[in-house]
Amino acid sequence: MDALRTVTRDIDTNSTKISARGVQVHYGDTHAIKDVDVDIKERSVTAFIGPSGCGKSTFLRCINRMNDTIDICRVTGDIRIDGDDIYDRSIDPVQLRARVGMVFQKPNPFPKSIYDNVAYGPKIHGLARSRAEMDEIVERSLRRGAIWDEVKDRLHAPGTGLSGGQQQRLCIARAVATDPEVLLMDEPCSALDPIATAQIEELIDTLREKYTVVIVTHSMQQAARVSQKTAFFHLGNLVEYGDTDDIFTNPKDRRTESYISGRIG
Amino acid sequence: MTDIPSGSGAVARTTMDKVHGSLARRHRKQLILQIFGITAISLAFLMLFILLASLITTGHKAFTQTEITLEVFIDPEEISVERLPRGNFTNVLAAAVAADLPSVDQQDRAEMRVVGGILSNGAQFQLRDRVVEEPELIGQTITISVPVSDPYDQLHKDLLDRETPENLRRLDDTQIAYYDRLVENGAIAASLNTGLLTNADSRFPELAGLKGAIMGSFWALLTCFLISFPLGIGAAIYLEEFAPKNKLSDFIEVNINNLAAVPSVVFGLLALSVFIGLFGLPRSAPFVGGLTLALMTMPTIIIATRAALKAVPPSIREAALGLGASKQQVVFGHVVPLAMPGILTGTIIGLAQALGETAPLLLIGMNAFITSAPATPFDSATALPTQIFIWADSPERGFVSRTSAAILVLLTFLIMMNAIAIYLRSKFERKW
Ligand SMILES: Nc1ncnc2c1ncn2[C@@H]1O[C@H](COP(=O)(O)OP(=O)(O)OP(=O)(O)O)[C@@H](O)[C@H]1O
Ligand SMILES: [Mg+2]
Repeated sequence: MDALRTVTRDIDTNSTKISARGVQVHYGDTHAIKDVDVDIKERSVTAFIGPSGCGKSTFLRCINRMNDTIDICRVTGDIRIDGDDIYDRSIDPVQLRARVGMVFQKPNPFPKSIYDNVAYGPKIHGLARSRAEMDEIVERSLRRGAIWDEVKDRLHAPGTGLSGGQQQRLCIARAVATDPEVLLMDEPCSALDPIATAQIEELIDTLREKYTVVIVTHSMQQAARVSQKTAFFHLGNLVEYGDTDDIFTNPKDRRTESYISGRIG
Repeated sequence: MTDIPSGSGAVARTTMDKVHGSLARRHRKQLILQIFGITAISLAFLMLFILLASLITTGHKAFTQTEITLEVFIDPEEISVERLPRGNFTNVLAAAVAADLPSVDQQDRAEMRVVGGILSNGAQFQLRDRVVEEPELIGQTITISVPVSDPYDQLHKDLLDRETPENLRRLDDTQIAYYDRLVENGAIAASLNTGLLTNADSRFPELAGLKGAIMGSFWALLTCFLISFPLGIGAAIYLEEFAPKNKLSDFIEVNINNLAAVPSVVFGLLALSVFIGLFGLPRSAPFVGGLTLALMTMPTIIIATRAALKAVPPSIREAALGLGASKQQVVFGHVVPLAMPGILTGTIIGLAQALGETAPLLLIGMNAFITSAPATPFDSATALPTQIFIWADSPERGFVSRTSAAILVLLTFLIMMNAIAIYLRSKFERKW
């Protein structure tokens, strides 16, 4: 199958998009992220892997400040996108989230039409000046989400009436509709069957032409297939970070090696 | 299948035997539970049936009204244009009845009074209003239908037993003879009692209607809705979505739940001392009734709204937040619309409760005797439940069936409100 091929990787000439230094996250007394430093490259796919509960989602949600919505969550340290400190007082999380889109583990379309799902983001940010412009954004986003052909005849049918895989691609289309620079994906395929997963993986590979993609995954194969860089988290620490090929063929840390060979997880 | 070793087969069999043993027990438990459930539901239905049956058997008679149709000669000697709206309408009507009864001596004042007593006390006003409207009718003969008085109404509805000894009966033999004669002439007939809904209250059961009470309840509920709906929903949205979760908000939450459990009579006393005593608002006014009911309905609406908001899946909030919606856009664009069916259901159930609430309205004087429907929420009025209370307390026989009829009217309104709640819930119900 086409999507299951190992992606041919670019040579890393990209510049750093997201840089994190000394990031610590506490949920009340739980220390979920311990002093993480990482540089995420522009226009590439970075995979976060690691055993359950190691803090992958937590760290991902720091990048678009979704953790702000959790009362007990405390984030310290420094995260910069294009050099701007996103936890700076002058940064509005609402504005940040327009730059950093997110796709969740479970497909979560709004109980509205397919069109309205995609149009929602552009609408609240005032990205379209006319109906025609909005139509164009919706079509472009749905095409980018690789779902246009399947839904073009029923744009006004409810988004919740689609299959799981279609819903997830709709959510991806919705996330790219605001034209973000970064796309965060938290286990986007965990609720999907292998065929839908393959479609999404193919889609992620094309998204990297335009976006910086960070994906959390439990599937080592998936990380190997879609990502150029891989970060391995363990118990809140970023244990190892590097080119995906190196991590999977030549892990430096013993814990990484045990994890990818299936001994911890 | 055949090549399974006998050892494991035995193990499987004993496991299955154990399962069988417990299966019988589980089935038995389930059966008992089912029997209990069916019994409980049957009992509930039986009670409901008894209630409705007794209401309908006593109440259905109030849905018709006995009327007498008369050829009335509007005698210029008794009624003159100059003296309108005064005039001797009673005499004119009595004469018209006597014309149908040849045995009656029209000069005998005592006898004429008995004849006049066949008609409801309201008949003269009905005729008066007609003549005031068209004074040129004076001197002419017109046909008019007026209600008969309560004892004759009861007689016509077979509620008055002719076998009772004369001295214990409300109508003596002569009066019954008059009645029989009039029925023979075809003057007396029963018709649909539209007055039950179009008349206001009256001392005379045959004239008493629910218009005042319905309008009173309407104004009170409108006031209650206009106050408790926005305040209740606003409070719930703030507490659920925006308020910081701390000791103070916990304290407020506990108190709202307590407020929902406070007996209604306490709210009545509060309203009496605060709204009427302190603020000097009028007694018996539906507006004050509505304020009082709003106090009681608000906790219900707050609790229902918070439950509905909580039930909106967090994934929808995350989706909207992740796209860069502000908190306020998430709440009003996604959460509240999705919670709307629950909010509306809770509100309507709260209002239905308020519609049936009696005690607080009694305390603020909405059980006054008022013979006109309130035109504004500030006019004195009764409400449906307090009207039922007044009628149930009245000695006249005619009010017995009217009380049941009024209860049926109230129940009809309640059923309608609940039907609306169910309709709204199914209409707005969405899946996610
Ligand atoms: N909302 C929360 N409140 C309190 N603790 C939390 C919360 N979310 C996560 N945690 C804790 O933070 C730690 C990291 O959780 P996180 O969800 O980031 O793990 P994860 O790596 O994404 O795991 P999984 O692969 O199972 O999704 C866990 O110990 C978890 O219990
Ligand atoms: Mg996770």
